Amino acid sequence: MSVFTLGAREREARLLPELTALTERHRRRCPPYRRILDALGSAPPYGSLADLPWLPVRLFKTHELKSIPDEEVFRVLASSGTTGQRPSLVHLDREAAAAQARMLAATLRTVLGERRLPMLIADSRSVVRDPRLSARGAGVLGMMNFGRDHTFVLDEHGVPDPGAVSAFLARHGREPYLVFGFTFMVWIYLYEVAREHRLDLSRGILVHSGGWKRLADRAVDPAEFRRRLAADTGLCRVHDFYGMVEQIGTVFLEGPDGGGLYCPDFADVVIRDPETWREAPVGTPGVIEVISTLPSSYPGHVLLTEDLGVVHGVDDGAWPGKRFSVLGRLPRAEARGCSDTFTRQDAA
Amino acid sequence: MTPDTSGTAPANRPAAAAVPGGDRVPVPGLVPDGASDGGELVPRFPSGVPLPVGALLAELEREPCDGPLTVGDERITAFLSAVGRRLLSPAVARAHPELGSLGFFLRRAEIARAVDRLRGEHLRVPRGLVFHIPPANVDTVFVYSWALSALAGNRNVVRLSRRAGGAAPAVLEALESGLSGAHPAVAQTQRIVSYERSDAVTARLSAACDLRIIWGGDRAVTDIRRHPLAPHARDLTFPDRSSLAVVSTAAWLDAPERVRQAAAEAFAADVYWFDQAACSSPRTVFWIGEAEATARARDDFAARLAATAARRWPVDAAMAVQKRVGAYGAAADGTVRALAFHGNALTLLDLADPADPPRHWLGTGTLGHARLGSLAELAGVVRRGDQTLSAFGFDRAELEGLARTLAGRGIDRIVPFGQALTFHPVWDGVDLLHECTRLVTISG
Repeated sequence: MSVFTLGAREREARLLPELTALTERHRRRCPPYRRILDALGSAPPYGSLADLPWLPVRLFKTHELKSIPDEEVFRVLASSGTTGQRPSLVHLDREAAAAQARMLAATLRTVLGERRLPMLIADSRSVVRDPRLSARGAGVLGMMNFGRDHTFVLDEHGVPDPGAVSAFLARHGREPYLVFGFTFMVWIYLYEVAREHRLDLSRGILVHSGGWKRLADRAVDPAEFRRRLAADTGLCRVHDFYGMVEQIGTVFLEGPDGGGLYCPDFADVVIRDPETWREAPVGTPGVIEVISTLPSSYPGHVLLTEDLGVVHGVDDGAWPGKRFSVLGRLPRAEARGCSDTFTRQDAA
Repeated sequence: MTPDTSGTAPANRPAAAAVPGGDRVPVPGLVPDGASDGGELVPRFPSGVPLPVGALLAELEREPCDGPLTVGDERITAFLSAVGRRLLSPAVARAHPELGSLGFFLRRAEIARAVDRLRGEHLRVPRGLVFHIPPANVDTVFVYSWALSALAGNRNVVRLSRRAGGAAPAVLEALESGLSGAHPAVAQTQRIVSYERSDAVTARLSAACDLRIIWGGDRAVTDIRRHPLAPHARDLTFPDRSSLAVVSTAAWLDAPERVRQAAAEAFAADVYWFDQAACSSPRTVFWIGEAEATARARDDFAARLAATAARRWPVDAAMAVQKRVGAYGAAADGTVRALAFHGNALTLLDLADPADPPRHWLGTGTLGHARLGSLAELAGVVRRGDQTLSAFGFDRAELEGLARTLAGRGIDRIVPFGQALTFHPVWDGVDLLHECTRLVTISG
């Protein structure tokens, strides 16, 4: 059963009351969130999803925002963030933790099917063993739930292990299997190794994420990525996804034709003009706002990201709803000024 | 122990082009890669090849050509005014308009005035060796404190961040070219250096100096203070400060349109230069007046400020998001009652409690607003860390009254709109030129 079924109009009609209710729930239960809404003068009724008040995602790095009492906190997730930055903290109760896992599974089932598939991972086992688990490690570990017979493309020292990949393909290469990795890892290790050793990945289903910045340096864009994987390794089923810890469980998944990312039925995106902050028209790039019904234990249901994106079309692609791309990140705002610059910016 | 190469180092370091070997000619403003590894200093002014700290100190200890420097020494005065002229040249002014005020500051007449102010009953003499540690990212502040200290006749070592950007390279270039006609004592006694984070070098310079001037943040000050000074030496510190503005509602409403517009434009410069992150950048505006009138005055002020800012200091998307983070965060904390966005350029925060204004940076173009019944009430708001009060619509007696009420509990400068960022030789309540000298009393 797919979670990519709702056209734009139906989605709006279904999600708006749910998210309005969620906004009011968080308003009641999260005092800092209520104070923000009060300061903004934001109150229902909201006419559309784009009218819902949003929080800048970085607020989860600077403030503790949760809508549950301390004793109901079941799990606290932390984003890695860049060095020196405080991580985002996301508080889940049992219900929210279960919902995010369930909906992530439902989303991925759309492309992976019902059965747990053998899994090839474009990374090293050491990233999931490091006690100080990196974001990459956490991502790999999370995805491992969706596969079995986990095989790593890199050995413990981070060196490509073509023998392990060949052995995996010998065991599972004639049936569908899951391939997962961060986009640049897939390109630098799996693609290169597969091409060099003429490995046939044609039954694989690749799920990848992490962004294109490091591949842009190599002049590889999403289309080139798909074209060369298909031409050189036979891997044609390729799904990029976009998601963040502040909206854990919600992933925006690339459709089978590579025409863009799609929103699962419990989520949506709004691209905002960075001058007016109003919704940008189709085809006009802006800042991505992500909307999801999953964050029930913290007010992360409507978040302005620091990513740039563009909606290519609505109800015109492989799956219904908005079809969009992530274009990159907003640069980080730096101030000059005279305070504490040695500790923040400069060691010398 | 750092090897002492003073026996071989030339007393007057040659200018860049005369460096033996020639193939690695340092360019002012650029640090050769890896040049300062191993506790070595890279001379940025006068530019030169890397040298150990011991060698630098040995060079500075030598008697300058034509005798020791004196307070208001002509050799230094001539050099500073030459540099000032260069900074005021059209080419520099075009590329770095902010260097204009530094150029004015270094004019001969200004310098003479500053020296004149030192006259008194006792004899003024230099302190000796002054070690300056300016902030990494305000690119020109180092010039002011160094120039005043040089004018006081001190030998100076300025630690300039390797990453100093913005106008710093242009300043170094002006200094370097000012050197060509200068007395050799200038190059001998005035040094700007960069070095990698090295406690050994900082410790050595700290132990050797008679006065250490530290700018840039509480943590930087505390960090540097781990290195002891000689028993007779002292620190002059410029730690974290924040600044406020105050406007008389009645004066604003009574002022002609032209005056209000000019004031808003001047205030915009105070706010938006240095991304509102300088210690003197105003962060909150206090209105003194009745509620209804203040609401009108404030709307007029905000509209003019926002329009000026949008035209002259547009805020990009990344900064706009930063401002949302700052403003929403202040709301979440409960210190702000209402937020108003005038485009991306200006965010107004209606303070929940006038006595608790935001004192940390929330993003360029973010202003707290609060109303008080009288100027005297502002005294209850001010804290030790408050530095500059930008004021509109009060006469000198009123402002003096406020300063007397405060009695040193905060606010070191009261300036009209447009002058918050203008450097003054009296800074943070300290007369720099005084601090850079000693007094000799002669009785009988």
